[in-house]
Amino acid sequence: MNTIKLYLHSMKMLLKSQMQYPWSFCLQTIAQIVMEGGEMMAVLLVVNRFQALNQWTGGDLLFFFGIMSITFYLTECFGRGITGNFAALIRSGNLDTFFLRPRGIMTQVLCHAIDPRRIGCIAVGVAALVLGCRQSRVIWTLPKIFLFTEAVFFGMLLILGLFLIEAVFAVHSVKSIELVNAVTYGGRSACQYPVDIYPGPLRVLFGTLAPFGLVLQVPSAVILDKPMMGIDGFLAFLCPLTGLLFFAFMYFVFQKAMKYYRSTGS
Amino acid sequence: MRKYFSTFLMRWKMETQYRGAALGGIICQMVFGLILISIYRALYLGNPQPMPLSAIVTYVWLQQAFFRMLLSSDNDLMDKIRTGGIAYEMCRPVSLYGYYYARIMAMKLMGSLLRAVPMLLFASFLPEGWGIGAPASLPALLLSLMGLVLGLLCMCALENITMGISMRTIDFKGFQALLNLLMTTFSGNILPLTLFPDAWQQVIRLLPYAQLLDAPIRLYTGETPLAQAGQVFLIQGIWLCVFVCLGLYLWHRNTKKMIVQGG
Repeated sequence: MNTIKLYLHSMKMLLKSQMQYPWSFCLQTIAQIVMEGGEMMAVLLVVNRFQALNQWTGGDLLFFFGIMSITFYLTECFGRGITGNFAALIRSGNLDTFFLRPRGIMTQVLCHAIDPRRIGCIAVGVAALVLGCRQSRVIWTLPKIFLFTEAVFFGMLLILGLFLIEAVFAVHSVKSIELVNAVTYGGRSACQYPVDIYPGPLRVLFGTLAPFGLVLQVPSAVILDKPMMGIDGFLAFLCPLTGLLFFAFMYFVFQKAMKYYRSTGS
Repeated sequence: MRKYFSTFLMRWKMETQYRGAALGGIICQMVFGLILISIYRALYLGNPQPMPLSAIVTYVWLQQAFFRMLLSSDNDLMDKIRTGGIAYEMCRPVSLYGYYYARIMAMKLMGSLLRAVPMLLFASFLPEGWGIGAPASLPALLLSLMGLVLGLLCMCALENITMGISMRTIDFKGFQALLNLLMTTFSGNILPLTLFPDAWQQVIRLLPYAQLLDAPIRLYTGETPLAQAGQVFLIQGIWLCVFVCLGLYLWHRNTKKMIVQGG
């Protein structure tokens, strides 16, 4: 509990410090809205030209886009310490100071940054989701709301886990590894669309290895009443837990990497 | 002219030093390309469009290959603007605009060639419907290369205008993000311009952003017939002149009243 209180407190402090420049904050948030709005426009244009993608209608596609941007940018907002520039922490030697304090490394990394501008992207995601729900005539029930919350929460853990891969590599190589972007940002781009449209290897990659499919899309499909990969009912509630598993595994690897960590000496 | 050329060569050599770093980026870009192509393939399966799928696939590969040409800027110059180091730059016995124009051109050209050559090789070995298609004809290839050169010149001039504005405003993150969005959307990077609604395309194709990569790609796939190539080059040329004049004016004004922030 203490850790969570600490995290919330540092979030408050960081937010306060960012709000010292209200104009800059506003402009950058607007920029984020426009940026994510551009991505949404691409989906709308695709729907406009092609109407449907296999069994998915335009509304469904907007729903998938919405849940993905909400989850991804919530993670970027609150997990900025990891999704931001972790390699810079190592390169500058700032990580060394974390070892001296009586708190976990992960806690401190998460506590040291926030990115409130992402609220712009999240807003666009919510807009897409609402639009998608209306077009696909989704009827929200209590289990569906629970499933949605569960998917988003474990989706955030999954994305944090994916960014941890980059962090672990950075411990060994000091530089950030562009290659990992293929599963993090690549995963976001790919899974804005339902994974079952992809050919075998990509489906395996984003369905189960980096399990966006299981964590976010299986629940989305159930909410849209069009179960994906035949997963429905109780099983759909279990699927998002793979996000937790993935995060737990990467957390373990990260702790191992911290044992290995050598300061750059700067 | 020689001094600008040697600036270009120097920067060119600098860029080739980071071949290893480029490799990770290339693989990443390839995965992105494959993801996009899978999406368009699935979309085409349900609703075939007048524009053939092979042309879209070629479009995506060329866009991914030359991605670096669109989004790369001179970070050194940005730092200099922020730290005040720009004051030293003004002591150089060259035109500041020309000097940085040569630099950014070398960066964009080398940065994208380093990535484009292996990527296009990879894409040409992929099976039919996944890989890049051959150019419509030999003249089409040559004309598209010429279009690409003109596009590159436009892009560098555009970049210099952004820099010129940055010199005024010092903080340019939000502003630059907006410009980058316009760039990726209207140059066809997020979604091929050929898939935009037909009515929009009439206008979008005339915008400066379409001149960068979209115009040469259309020449390559043969969507723009050879007879219209002159027209395409004319539009590119007009934008190039406008951008260079605007940039020169902006940089000239800036150097007259440069405010150096500490440093």
